[in-house]
Amino acid sequence: MIINAAIYFFGGLAALATLLMLFQRDPVKAAMLMLAALLATAGLYLALSAQLLAVLQVILYAGAIMTLFIVALTVTPAAWKDKPAPARIKRVLGLAAAAVILAELLKVSTALKTVTAAPEFSETGTLEIARQLFGPFALQFELLSLVILASIVAAVALTSRRRTAL
Amino acid sequence: MMEFYEANKDLLLFTAAAGVKVLVFLGGVMGLAGLLTLAERKVSALMQDRIGPNRASVLGLAFNGLFHPLADAIKMILKEDFVPGRAEKLLFTLAPFFALVPVLALFAVIPFGDYVMVFGYQLDLLIADLPLGLFFVLALSGLAIYGVFLGGWASKNNFALLGAMRGAAQMISYEVVLGLTLVGLLMIYGSANLQDMVRAQGRLLFGFLPAWGVVYQPFAFLLFLTAAIAENKRTPFDLVEGESEIIGYFMEYSSMRFAAFMFSEFVEIILVSMLAATLFFGGWQVPYLYETGFILPGGAALPLNHYLVAALQVGAFSVKTVFFCWLMLVIRWTLPRFRFDQLMGLCWKTLLPLALLNILITGAVLLALGKI
Repeated sequence: MIINAAIYFFGGLAALATLLMLFQRDPVKAAMLMLAALLATAGLYLALSAQLLAVLQVILYAGAIMTLFIVALTVTPAAWKDKPAPARIKRVLGLAAAAVILAELLKVSTALKTVTAAPEFSETGTLEIARQLFGPFALQFELLSLVILASIVAAVALTSRRRTAL
Repeated sequence: MMEFYEANKDLLLFTAAAGVKVLVFLGGVMGLAGLLTLAERKVSALMQDRIGPNRASVLGLAFNGLFHPLADAIKMILKEDFVPGRAEKLLFTLAPFFALVPVLALFAVIPFGDYVMVFGYQLDLLIADLPLGLFFVLALSGLAIYGVFLGGWASKNNFALLGAMRGAAQMISYEVVLGLTLVGLLMIYGSANLQDMVRAQGRLLFGFLPAWGVVYQPFAFLLFLTAAIAENKRTPFDLVEGESEIIGYFMEYSSMRFAAFMFSEFVEIILVSMLAATLFFGGWQVPYLYETGFILPGGAALPLNHYLVAALQVGAFSVKTVFFCWLMLVIRWTLPRFRFDQLMGLCWKTLLPLALLNILITGAVLLALGKI
């Protein structure tokens, strides 16, 4: 019962924080609401006995990615000003993109199996995740490092170009 | 009432035991943190050939300054609680909590002893026995960044914001190194549970050398200590505060809000000391002390009472913790501050490659020994 309550609590919290984030104009406050949503998701994983996922969610998303977002926000002067409302065409395009993503997500989610939550707090399948990642999914897992490599190269290219321009 | 007790006996006992452990352990940590504020000033006084604080007294007894933490606390509480007019009120209020709460929560996974039998009930001497304790430590220590950042940003003060940006950049960089230095230990012990790691350090190497983490990974220990001090924003890595240039992210804070930031730094010193002791120096292990008493390598044995063994183990953990606290105070008052580019260069160009090299060598040796 406690676990069910926790699942609904964290799920509701994540949804609420995300909604508030969408309607928040101040970028730093929006980032803090997103952080709240990420932490609530971590709590949701924990309630579902996925300890490793919960911890990785906090280390990677809340601890690393959100921090980078926030650093980037503070070094951009726009973060300090109240921005004028975007042009109408941008709004329409944005809403269209959001509608497409929502439709795709709904399409994917119908295929998901409904799983009943474990009645008791159980051990994590850390070993099972590791076996999957380094077994059948080893190639995909290693390919991901190429994405990171590409982003590093891009970052270097962007910053070095600015340095020569100065 | 009795029926309810009988039905939920395990849960109630567990809750009560956890409550007692939290009170005793966190009480000890808080007490030590209070004493550290005094020790810091006394060590600095010693280094600079001064006497240091020695005036606060109760009934004419000063005990060479022992009451100063108490006097500081009273002073902090009575100060005006000031919020700048342009500050973001909510985030300004939340920031000290973000700084203090993750650090305090981390003490839950640190084992401060093996176990004691109380009325036939085995009481594990750690608050939360998580299978992924080490990852829990890394996750929560990553959240401490938000206290620094929010404190600086919500103050709407340029100096505070500079401190906050330095802090965010510094902490996120050194967190990477901190995590990577611990990978070697994970590979050797094959567990992320801190209690399991401490138990594994009770073995003997070659029949006489305690198998402490520092014996397996001396290099990782040095990297860990460097990264941990940087993560803790202490001198020589205290550019976040940099009293002589930008004052720091808590510039606009006063009263107990400021005290929360300052206190979190001292609590972090204790945390880093406990982690260093737990991961690299055998935690509560005393060399040659086993559940039944001392058994020396030569074969000589000294049987001891169970409670005496437990007390010795908790005592050993406390001594190791206090030793590392002292070490960090001495480092702070010995080394000058880095420049910011030196700080970042040290992290990304020196410590990170060395940490990766350490993982490679550890993996190669484990493979050669056939342990994988």
